[in-house]
Amino acid sequence: MRLASRALRPYICPSCRHGAGSRRFKSQLAQSPDIYDVVCVGGGPAGLGLVAALRNVHQKTFKLGRASPITSNLRIALVESQDLQKARSWGLEPTKFSNRVSSLTPSSVSFLRSIGAWEHLDTDRVQNYQEMQVWDGVSGSRISFDWSMETSPFEDKPSVATMTENANLVRGLLARIAASGDENLSVFENMTVASIENGSDHLPDGPDLSAWPVLSVAPTGSAASTKPASRIAARLLVGADGINSPVRSFADIPTHGWDYNRHGVVATLALAEPDVPPFPASMRTAYQRFLPALGGPIALLPLPNNHATLVWSTTPEHAAYLKSLSAPAFLAMVNAAFRLSMTDLKYMMGIDRATSAEQTSPHEDELSWRLQHTPLPSQIPPTAIGLQQGTVASFPLRFRHAAQYVSPRIALVGDAAHVIHPLAGQGLNLGLADVASLSRTIQYAVSHGMDIGDLLTLDHYASERYLPNAKIGGTCDLLHKMYNVPGNGPVTWARSLGLDVINRLPFVKSFLMKNAEG
Amino acid sequence: MAAPLRPMSNLAPRLLLAGRPATRPTRTTLLQHHHHHERRTAATPQARTHSTTSSVSASELTHFSALASSWWDPMGPSRILHLMNPLRHEFIASCLADSSPSPSSPAKADLHYLDIGCGGGIFAESLARTIPTDPDAAAPTPTRAASMTAIDPSTNLIQIARDHARMDPAVDAHLRSGKFKYLNTTLEDVLATTPSSSTSSPSSPLSPSPSAPTASPKQYDMVTLFEVLEHIDPQTSTPLTFLTNCLRALKPGGWLIGSTISRTLPSFLLNQVVAEAPWPIGVVPRGTHEWSKFVNPPEVRAWLQEGLMRGGDGVAGRGGQGLLEGMQWRCVGAVYVPGFGWKMVPGSEDWGNYFWAVRKGV
Repeated sequence: MRLASRALRPYICPSCRHGAGSRRFKSQLAQSPDIYDVVCVGGGPAGLGLVAALRNVHQKTFKLGRASPITSNLRIALVESQDLQKARSWGLEPTKFSNRVSSLTPSSVSFLRSIGAWEHLDTDRVQNYQEMQVWDGVSGSRISFDWSMETSPFEDKPSVATMTENANLVRGLLARIAASGDENLSVFENMTVASIENGSDHLPDGPDLSAWPVLSVAPTGSAASTKPASRIAARLLVGADGINSPVRSFADIPTHGWDYNRHGVVATLALAEPDVPPFPASMRTAYQRFLPALGGPIALLPLPNNHATLVWSTTPEHAAYLKSLSAPAFLAMVNAAFRLSMTDLKYMMGIDRATSAEQTSPHEDELSWRLQHTPLPSQIPPTAIGLQQGTVASFPLRFRHAAQYVSPRIALVGDAAHVIHPLAGQGLNLGLADVASLSRTIQYAVSHGMDIGDLLTLDHYASERYLPNAKIGGTCDLLHKMYNVPGNGPVTWARSLGLDVINRLPFVKSFLMKNAEG
Repeated sequence: MAAPLRPMSNLAPRLLLAGRPATRPTRTTLLQHHHHHERRTAATPQARTHSTTSSVSASELTHFSALASSWWDPMGPSRILHLMNPLRHEFIASCLADSSPSPSSPAKADLHYLDIGCGGGIFAESLARTIPTDPDAAAPTPTRAASMTAIDPSTNLIQIARDHARMDPAVDAHLRSGKFKYLNTTLEDVLATTPSSSTSSPSSPLSPSPSAPTASPKQYDMVTLFEVLEHIDPQTSTPLTFLTNCLRALKPGGWLIGSTISRTLPSFLLNQVVAEAPWPIGVVPRGTHEWSKFVNPPEVRAWLQEGLMRGGDGVAGRGGQGLLEGMQWRCVGAVYVPGFGWKMVPGSEDWGNYFWAVRKGV
């Protein structure tokens, strides 16, 4: 390696040569790491949202003060193991959609607007919906969510939520961060955290870093052998690094939780024109039907141009079965899941796969035959008629909650702090709410001379977010458990009564919706 | 005379475990050895002016030294003080907004601060953190600090403050450049330091008025005095003498800003009965406060007026009514609500804690 770099030396530009040569001074580097105010590990929506927010705070910082970009002076490092270049240049044709789609609540959207990120999203690829139909596959009890009781019939209904491909959101956040310039910002992409340890108090003429986390950040993949590792010290180390957060491990923060033994099956679907055109024409609806006999709800959430994204929570066996089906059979199962009885569905989940000789799959035959004998409710979604190739995938559903979100010089956000059941589509929203809260906390601290890594600062973030996250995560968990009791028993009766009652009490519903909005 | 110490708040498990000390002298005797040591080390290095009397009560000194190790523990006995600190910044910002209303261009960080009775440095360090590295940059916060000199008579606490400051590279850099200083000294000795002795330490960025580095004594744009007034030893000093000295350290047009506790029935109940009650009710270590030393807003205001009239150099006879012209006075109460933290509540001055400020006429 040494030899190779020496041989290549004439062909390497001086700045790269400097990078390669600095390996020799590793021992010196080890004593004085590069010092950052915020080191964010993880370049997903939460981590990028935090960086974008910190570089765009132009709000009133003091009650009596002036507007000031007070956190834009912070030195920020972002560490991401993936190649962000792919995320920056992501693009799909207008009729194709990624299968990783999130439902953003209005407060998430307004946060993204406030940090100047929303305008960097491709808004032709996002879809608002103004109504949500949720019903029980056993009893048929139904609840519909919209804002109609809050608004007059003559104005447009406000959105319940906005569907956005995660890739679109990530690309938008990256563009927003790029627009903020590169002063005080270092992006360590294609780099992983090799180690985190406490700094030292070696140098008598330097600061005492013994209570500061110091990260060793090493390149991944082919670059690993050519680029040196960097050592960076963090005044505040933010773990936005997902369910298996290395930052959380370093901070020795335990999590509790369980696996649901369920998988979420996702896919991008094309829908038929609805039988009754929506009124007004821009009106869109999300559908969710609880299927207690199959282990969880199926949801169809609207995307532009009559497309929709599917999220079907079910047992790993059913998930594997669904993924093995041909496109027509898969579509038949999706349409059946919104229409047929539990008994029919359980039967269809067990049919042998179509043999190639047949024109139509047995699933399609079963569906059309059984539909003739099934009374359909009014709220079913349009028929799914197309499956975008390569979009059927599944992921395990889990519940995790970190015992605490903060420890000295550490804060956890997003999935590193909490992973919840996706039945209410709240996971990403909770992460963005974390980031909004943490950026406000940091802003307050900077404007009041506080150390942003100090527990006194971070306590504010933790106390603002821990309970709301626990509440929403717990509600989703409770719903999951209630809707996994099959048959017509007291639980089914109680949950159906609950839905019916809530549906008839506008003020309760309005309260629930405002809570869900966060 | 020496500056008194900053108070302590919140639980001191050590003291509580020992049971309720019946009287303050009990503890004083326990720590007698300590306290002699403290006084000597605090006084000796600055002995050149031979200030014989001290505004620092010896028992106060030992009380706070005993709590020193947990000064920076955010969950320790000083928690309630840490929580109050952001309000100090806001109060200073409101004073500055009052005296220099909304400048059209972004304000420079051009104010030199003196923090008297800095203790472990809770306020001093937080203000030092807002000093910009580039002196020509716009001030990052409305407190506009260009430098901070923090003094305390306790060697122990100054050491704790310095050690803690080293743990923040940004603050450490200011300590090294001299923009931020911790001095184990008293206000009286700071005032007595002649300009010639300040030239003996040329690294000092605190040349009181850079334009006129000669004859006048050291003066600062902002002098802060948080939770100090209620700890003055009535045997050796008075708040009037002490505040007059504080005003002497202040430039014309500058603000003297402090916070203290009023001596009223509600404050007696809150601060003596409730706040110093045993765990889990109390939030302040027992023996932190002596109700009789508390001072009311009208008293502070009267002392300050008297102090201003005594003249810039402290010599009675000069000055008089004329020096009160341009004086501005501000006062606002602060209330601690468990679970919610500190909140400024105008009109609550009589309940207990309050902020006060006076601006010296130009």
